[in-house]
Amino acid sequence: MIGEIAHFLALASALGLILVLIFNAFFYSAGRHANQDILSYKLFHQSCLLIFISFGLYIYLAITDDFSISYIANHSNSQLPIFYKITSIWSAHEGSMFLWIVFLTLWSTLFIKSLSFQHQLKKGTMLMLTIIILGFLLFLLITSNPFERILPFGVLEGADINPVLQDPALAIHPPLLYLGYVGFVISFSFITAYLFHGDIHYPWEKDIKNWSLIAWIFLTVGITLGSWWAYYELGWGGYWFWDPVENVALMPWLAATAFMHSLFASSKSNILKTWTLFLGILIFALSLFGAFIVRSGIIDSVHSFANDPQRGLYLLGFSGFITLISLGIFAYRLPNMQSSKLIVTGSKESFLSMNNILMLTAIFSIFLGVTYPLILEFINGDKVSIGPPYYNTIFAPLILLTSIFIMISLEALWQRGMQARTLLIAVTPTFVISSLILYFIWYFVQIFSLLAYIGIYSGLLIIISYLLKGVISLKNKTYINKGSFVAHLGLGLLFFAVSMNSILSYQKNINLFLGEQQFINNSISEFKFLDLQNIKASNHDVVSAEIFIVHDGQPIFLNPEKRKYFARGQITSETAIHATVLKDTYLTIGDQLDDGSWTFSLQINYFIKWIWFSSALMVIGILMTIFKKKIL
Amino acid sequence: MSAIYRSLIILLPLIVLITYGTILVTDQDDALVYFEPKEFPQFDLQDLEDREIDLAAFNGISLLNVWASWCITCLVEHPFLTQLSKNEITLIGLNYKDSQVKAEQWLEKRGDPYIFSIYDPRGDLAFDLGVTGAPETFLIFNQQIIGHIQGELNQEKWQSTLVPLINAATMGNQ
Repeated sequence: MIGEIAHFLALASALGLILVLIFNAFFYSAGRHANQDILSYKLFHQSCLLIFISFGLYIYLAITDDFSISYIANHSNSQLPIFYKITSIWSAHEGSMFLWIVFLTLWSTLFIKSLSFQHQLKKGTMLMLTIIILGFLLFLLITSNPFERILPFGVLEGADINPVLQDPALAIHPPLLYLGYVGFVISFSFITAYLFHGDIHYPWEKDIKNWSLIAWIFLTVGITLGSWWAYYELGWGGYWFWDPVENVALMPWLAATAFMHSLFASSKSNILKTWTLFLGILIFALSLFGAFIVRSGIIDSVHSFANDPQRGLYLLGFSGFITLISLGIFAYRLPNMQSSKLIVTGSKESFLSMNNILMLTAIFSIFLGVTYPLILEFINGDKVSIGPPYYNTIFAPLILLTSIFIMISLEALWQRGMQARTLLIAVTPTFVISSLILYFIWYFVQIFSLLAYIGIYSGLLIIISYLLKGVISLKNKTYINKGSFVAHLGLGLLFFAVSMNSILSYQKNINLFLGEQQFINNSISEFKFLDLQNIKASNHDVVSAEIFIVHDGQPIFLNPEKRKYFARGQITSETAIHATVLKDTYLTIGDQLDDGSWTFSLQINYFIKWIWFSSALMVIGILMTIFKKKIL
Repeated sequence: MSAIYRSLIILLPLIVLITYGTILVTDQDDALVYFEPKEFPQFDLQDLEDREIDLAAFNGISLLNVWASWCITCLVEHPFLTQLSKNEITLIGLNYKDSQVKAEQWLEKRGDPYIFSIYDPRGDLAFDLGVTGAPETFLIFNQQIIGHIQGELNQEKWQSTLVPLINAATMGNQ
């Protein structure tokens, strides 16, 4: 019964949103009345509320193990802790789409509430948001209904959540990522309303600045947690795989980062306005593209949901529809938007727009990497795999150029050009110090890799230039943007850590009998297979090995495990990790060979923690920017 | 900027849209009739009545249906399977993670559409086949798996997925 109520509320909400649209279309020609607006907003907020109640009831159904609901029966289990009963809701397509819509609604209703009644763009933004929510709600109810019952009989026990998903990081990774993706619906709708309204002098940037920054934070944290989960839980031994689904998350992130910067610039002067508007539309368009790629099953990936062309077509059509509306209005208004002022060569804006171009190049390269194999397979049936070498090669020069522009623009001024000579003198110390450090790294490591060294150098340029600037401003008591300082240090550190990781880390496959020991290299002088135990747990079998390693003179005990889950027969690998500040000793157990020996995969991963730390720095930097006026 | 350049802002995304739409629609047709054939895995199991398995049943067209007495959906698809067996389709059962007694009682009570049921209490063969749960159905042609359906087998899935695969396989053979 509660399932039907929840279903009914979702339908009622869709009806409410349709009424908002019909009502506004009907009275469009009759002119504006305050009462008409009040009624629209009320109806909109009530419809949103219905979705929240419906989702609340759905959580209740999941907690109380209502296995007559097909989705819950397929993805939950009565033995699960309550926490995982709730998170099982977003472990597959229908439920996670529901969550997506709940967040969409949440952002929309909060944003509309935040605008004053007289705000000239309130109505337009609300109508755009209504169309988007309605489109996705109908998608949910028509093609992927989470409320569907198993008739005539329910089942007694659920099929269990996928064991690799039983992890706290994963449980919160999708919601955060969705909050990020969906958060940009605000800038998208607001920009569309702004362009439609046509009052180009309205200072629209200030209304969505903080909303965009918060969405950016969610997106960043969501991507980082996903990467963290792949490293610690999946036992893949890496943190980024250029998997299509990671790529479709990275594209909106890059666009959002460029958008954020342009937003700062265009709120100071109008120069980068068209850039900002375009990027604002692009972020959400890319988010929608991501949703399409993941949910249409057009690409095989660890993340992809079951293949259903009907869903894919609906999503593609709807996403295309709203993106084209927005881009259409943008193209129509473009001639009026051209700023009378030109970008001054050597000004901060000039370097910002250079970086915008580089970011777009990066986005396009990823887009090509995702799209090209599909098109090629479609045309002549060839399967090509575009993997890390492609992305690494393309990204290295882009990162270097971006870093150089970041470094220079730190010295440059808003709207005023600087002489090339002054700029060069200002950045020379950074170049010199970074080159020296790079030489020392080469001297100690004695491994050369062009791409990695470009990455290290890029990271150093950013870090050193900001540190120098920080020292100078401390000494002379001059102004420095602290949020930007922390965030860019994070970015520099990220480039540095990722590149150092790629040259220093290595992997050994080891094949040992129980009780045997082996010399690996000078750093790992002993690797001993001490014990192997078979343990029966409540819902899975465990094979647990005990390994003794002497790593750089340090004794380490590691217990890698392999688990076979009964409910789905799935085998997962539990990695054993010994972590220090600089490196992780990362051990997974493989299969038993015919001769009775076991295979192990030992990885020494450098600078992994620094990657998480750098991402945390970027988030802290943006948080400092949001709360600047309040605490500093 | 001229109107022609501005129209590119719309045209380029539109091209992307149409490309993906086309790929998706064509992909759909492929999914219906194409399945990468796989060798049927080796196994060492008896049937529910402890007899050796007659491998001759795997020649020609046959269906291997994964079922269990604890599986509710198997109950739902049972009438359709019975109807199939009456239409001279060779139906082999794979009794999955079940108790022998309960499985036999289940068949006695509801009728046995299978020529025999392989008894797989630990899910060994099912694991090699890549079974994720019951019910699932494999289409077999001359010791090769040529189709796979997860969940309930019904008239609709039979017509849309398995019949085209059977037609394709038997036509290729002639």
